Amino acid sequence: MNSNNKKTVADADLVSRIKLGDTEAMEEIVKRYSNKVYNLAYHLTRDASAAEEIMQEVFLTVISKIGTLTNDAFFSTWLYRVATNASYGFLRKEKKFTDHTPVEELENATPPSYDWSTLPDDILLSDESKTILKEAIDSLSETMRTVVIMKDVEGLKNEEIAQTLGLSVPAVKSRLHRGRLILRDALSDYFSRYEPSNGGAV
Amino acid sequence: MNCKLCADLLHEYVERTLSPEMIEDLNRHLERCEACRVFVKTYMLTVTLSRNVETPCCVSPEMFDRLRTILIDRLINNK
Repeated sequence: MNSNNKKTVADADLVSRIKLGDTEAMEEIVKRYSNKVYNLAYHLTRDASAAEEIMQEVFLTVISKIGTLTNDAFFSTWLYRVATNASYGFLRKEKKFTDHTPVEELENATPPSYDWSTLPDDILLSDESKTILKEAIDSLSETMRTVVIMKDVEGLKNEEIAQTLGLSVPAVKSRLHRGRLILRDALSDYFSRYEPSNGGAV
Repeated sequence: MNCKLCADLLHEYVERTLSPEMIEDLNRHLERCEACRVFVKTYMLTVTLSRNVETPCCVSPEMFDRLRTILIDRLINNK
């Protein structure tokens, strides 16, 4: 049995015990997942107080709805789905929700001619470039942004993301790829100022 | 291997799920196609930068205690 299986069994065991009202099992689940739920909510909403509220809402949902979870082994993806939906709810309420895919940006997603990957780290990792990247992430459509955050920021597996969002694995891969292309376009546009032919100097 | 196929395979290349033969094909194409080389390098760097763009945050001990109290209380009352 590998470590993943061990963890799955442990999660399932804890979930069974929570269904019986076991407080220690609940505490262990909270220890295990509170940071993950908080991070996901924070990165989707970019709002610390909302992330805390969402985390609380998610674990209260665990208590009230855990009886509806038919396969305890899928607890983590169910939890991420609850967290994602709660974050979407907040974004809708705050009207910070992008419900479109910037098709024109996709169509323009062509390979850049300027190789900005050779720029020094102080430019690549500057606060300004991080802001550009964050704005580009925020401009993605709901599902695409969630997939990019889950995969590239939170480090979830494609299969976990697919189960969480109710998508097929190929659909996750496709959205991830298209999202990354849009982000790369945004960075290419920003870093082009350093291109020698544009008078850029490093 | 052509430029379009190279772009289509990029996701699998980053995920390291391509077969050794496909990787070899792709690398051969990259050796002779500068545009695709730049494409691959900037795509991969975009993934790396995205990984580091968000600061990981932690639930503070106070936040954890607040949550724990609320949940234990709810769980006991649900019994």
